[in-house]
Amino acid sequence: MNQRLNLPDWAGRAVACLFGSVVLAMMVGPQQGSQNDYGVGFRQAVLNPRIFYFLLIGVLVFFAITYQDVVRRYASRPGVRPLVAGLLVLLASYFLMRWYDPLGNNAKFAGLADAVASTSGLAPLAKAFFGWLWWVSLVVLVVGIFVAIARRLRALGWAMAGLAVVVGVVALVAHAAAADAGGGIDHSYGAPTALVGYLVLAGAGVLAARSRSETAATREFVERVMAFRPGLPLVLMGLLLGVLALVSATWFAPQQANATLVDTSSLFSGSDASGLSEAFLGWLGYVLFVVVLLAGAAAVWTRNRVVGYVAAGLAAVTILIVLVTLHDISATATEAGYPGADGPWRDLGTGGWLLSIAVFSIGAGAFVAARRAHRPAGADEARGTVTGRLHQAGASTTVLSLALFGIGLALFYPPTATTFWQQALVTDIGVYVLLAIGLNVVIGWAGLLDLGYIAFYALGSYTTAYLTGSLPVQPPSWLQLSPLWAIPVAIAVCLVAGVLLGAPTLRLRGDYLAIVTLGFGEIIRIVAVNNPGNITNGPRGVESAVPHPVIDLGFLRIQWGGNQLQYWYLLLVLLAILIFFFYRLEGSRLGRAWAAVREDEVAAQATGVNTTRVKLLAFAIGASTSGLAGVFFASDIGYFNPQNFILNNSILIVAYVVFGGMGSLTGAIAGAAVLTWLPNFLRDQVPSEDRVMWIGAVLVIMMIFRPQGLIPAKRREAELTGLAGHDPSVRPAVQAVPASEGV
Amino acid sequence: MSEFLNFLMLGLTRGSMYALIALGYTLVYGVLQLINFAHSEVFMAGAFGSFLVVHLVVGEGEGLGGFEQLLVTLLGLVAGAISGAVVAFVLERVAYRPLRRRGAPKLAFLISAIGASFFLSQLFGKLFNRLGNNQFPDYLHKGEVLWTPFGARIKLLQVVIIISAVLLMIFLDRLVSGTKLGRGIRATAEDAPTAALMGVDIDRTISRTFIIGGALAGAAGFLFGYAFVFSNTMGFIPGIKAFAAAVLGGIGNIRGAMIGGLLLGVAENLIPTAPWVGGDAWIGQEWTDVVAFVLLILILVFRPTGILGERLGRAA
Repeated sequence: MNQRLNLPDWAGRAVACLFGSVVLAMMVGPQQGSQNDYGVGFRQAVLNPRIFYFLLIGVLVFFAITYQDVVRRYASRPGVRPLVAGLLVLLASYFLMRWYDPLGNNAKFAGLADAVASTSGLAPLAKAFFGWLWWVSLVVLVVGIFVAIARRLRALGWAMAGLAVVVGVVALVAHAAAADAGGGIDHSYGAPTALVGYLVLAGAGVLAARSRSETAATREFVERVMAFRPGLPLVLMGLLLGVLALVSATWFAPQQANATLVDTSSLFSGSDASGLSEAFLGWLGYVLFVVVLLAGAAAVWTRNRVVGYVAAGLAAVTILIVLVTLHDISATATEAGYPGADGPWRDLGTGGWLLSIAVFSIGAGAFVAARRAHRPAGADEARGTVTGRLHQAGASTTVLSLALFGIGLALFYPPTATTFWQQALVTDIGVYVLLAIGLNVVIGWAGLLDLGYIAFYALGSYTTAYLTGSLPVQPPSWLQLSPLWAIPVAIAVCLVAGVLLGAPTLRLRGDYLAIVTLGFGEIIRIVAVNNPGNITNGPRGVESAVPHPVIDLGFLRIQWGGNQLQYWYLLLVLLAILIFFFYRLEGSRLGRAWAAVREDEVAAQATGVNTTRVKLLAFAIGASTSGLAGVFFASDIGYFNPQNFILNNSILIVAYVVFGGMGSLTGAIAGAAVLTWLPNFLRDQVPSEDRVMWIGAVLVIMMIFRPQGLIPAKRREAELTGLAGHDPSVRPAVQAVPASEGV
Repeated sequence: MSEFLNFLMLGLTRGSMYALIALGYTLVYGVLQLINFAHSEVFMAGAFGSFLVVHLVVGEGEGLGGFEQLLVTLLGLVAGAISGAVVAFVLERVAYRPLRRRGAPKLAFLISAIGASFFLSQLFGKLFNRLGNNQFPDYLHKGEVLWTPFGARIKLLQVVIIISAVLLMIFLDRLVSGTKLGRGIRATAEDAPTAALMGVDIDRTISRTFIIGGALAGAAGFLFGYAFVFSNTMGFIPGIKAFAAAVLGGIGNIRGAMIGGLLLGVAENLIPTAPWVGGDAWIGQEWTDVVAFVLLILILVFRPTGILGERLGRAA
């Protein structure tokens, strides 16, 4: 028993790698067992020649780890990282993304390639690209760039960079030719993504050709680019997207017709569309884009505050004009009875929205430049202190740029998405982002593990259903409300419920609180199922659909429910309010009290923090956010049942918050967005019943390699590392009990 | 009276299975101060593993003699225990140890365990099947009534389950209080760094703790699967209940987990069915889970560390 078997290090590694490949073999593939033969799944997955492919992967990983010194030496050469990144982007575009929507289930690259192969009369270049050029060129590029890096062949590096650009353009052209021949409405991003991948590969080639240093300094390079001129990357991005939008994107796409900007212009010249729209389509669009671009470039170059704000303003005006034009052409086409046109804001291609994103991006670049125009002289010296580091962390140019670009995408991307993705954006992603930022207050800031969070969501939904008269029990007529007016009531109800649950239980420590909240969540759900006194209509869910909200101000009437986009913008408004509120809350007295309670409750109490009150407030704020999400969910989806509020959802929201980075608002948003996007994405990639398995694997792998989450809270990091700064090479010694850091 | 006895026996049967699972939660909590959320899948793995072995040995399981029945039961328990132990061992290696090496925050362990739980449950579903009604070969005639005191029907199966569970619990109790490994576990639970200084191999102790807890849960998986039906999602509800039972008894406390499990099992079967005379019950069985959780909340509100209190690192 005490005799320890001392196996060499590599043996354990080999076993782990081979075991991993067997598990991978079980995960991949359509096999499933049956009741007649329980072993059939195992046999098909493992006792099958295909196992050798997986074992080969395991062996490769084993060698990569065992000889990681060699691997690392090569991996740190300048250009290797862009090479890998570009390759990954290209693989994603070829194997995961859609290339041509009208093909439905075969919309990926392989499906389009088949369709192209069976179409006659296409340009030979397109035929060649879809037939063999794409993979031959990919192999040549990867091998060539790698050789250029490893052997330092500068000429080869330049040649490969050129080739990459050419192939990227060919991909775009070939896709356009194929789409032209096929017709139909195409929102796919496969070809542009491939172009981006080829451009990254070209960058790798350039680096291989130009760099004289031994090791790459990717991070420094990126930082230098971002700091060279604040806002410049945004402006360049805007330029790229804008050119795409003006030249090749579709602007007007009723049934089977895709019109670029030029085509749209000729389509609408002399129609009933307003003069502004016609002018925009004809020449104003180009002029405005160039003007905005020049103003943005001037702002970025001169770093002048006035120029920056003027450029941002110009961008805003341009976006307005784009929106007016989009509305105008879709409405005019409908009135004129254009075949396939059905209503304002319908049948629009990606072009207008892409141009909006581009212009927004340029405006954002100018805004960033203006914000960074005159930094106080001492700004960089303040870095040394904890406050300075916090300030620095919250306000870096990169973060601001990314956030602004994200806002641009959130505003103008959804209209171009397919109906399926619009639905997913609102009912899966949006609602759970709302829930996650609420739970982040409870778990991330106050450090209370709440496993029954979905209960408040259920309370909010059922309160809305009651107030709008969708349950068997009707409210008194003076109480019957539109869903919008249900928001304050639902928030109040959840606030009270949160306090009622929290008051007796919040003195319990971490894990006890977890099981009590879990029990509470289950009780709420079972009550909804068991339907005492016929108030909830039991497992069948609400009796009649919860109505959609309406705003009626006499002169202005907004009726939700036409499509998911309206809910998306409502959601954005709610999110903006909440994010602003929580952002202010984090640094407030209450936020600091939460941090104190989370780090050390006894010490917090000793310094005069009323811990019970503070914890109760966190609980109540979290609960009311959840209730708000419930109102939104109920009025969006109409019908719901207790199955929407199962314990698994509570657990998943906790997973979103931790996955994103506990205690970080951006982290919670990112975590929820990524993990709710993933199952929808996997729908196209793996059998639907296997999705949960893959998500589980992602969670485990993420926690192994990045336990602090996607975007960890800077505040926590700064608190923990103090003035010493964060040095990733310093790891705590192996501990049996993990560092107690809040929950 | 007869109904009361029936429900009491049902409660004891379920409760002893809860107790076996709860022991795994409590043991791991003792050494790591972590809730092992994937423990319910270890339980599920025990059911599948023992099924494969038992099915292989007895086929459809007709016409076995008494001694053979006993042997097969033992075989099932051992097979379940081994599969549970293997899964728990791998789980610790994959989902816990790397995080410990990195000094990850506590919630990261929770998420990793949740991920592992999703993964295991769905992987078993993919490999075997996703049906909800898999059954063991009925070699023991599980409907057989052993004797009928006061008109109640005490079944052979219930007796087998309770006896097996009690024996396993006694075995665990001796193991933790009497052996060197048990001393190591207790030392680790009480103060890991000091235990390490005293020559306890922390990593190995934690691994063994997972194995022991996994073996108990796997055996419980066999008993549960045999008594009812088994499926890849069977672990969820017993897992939650057993977790509640562990907390009820005082988490980290081994005897607390046993008492908590039995108490929870009995209470959730007796309270909703009162007054046990046939006709309508006062509460009704659809409220079973609510009764269990309300009981848990009440006990925790009035006794915040469970019935026996937390006793990390003590013999019992």
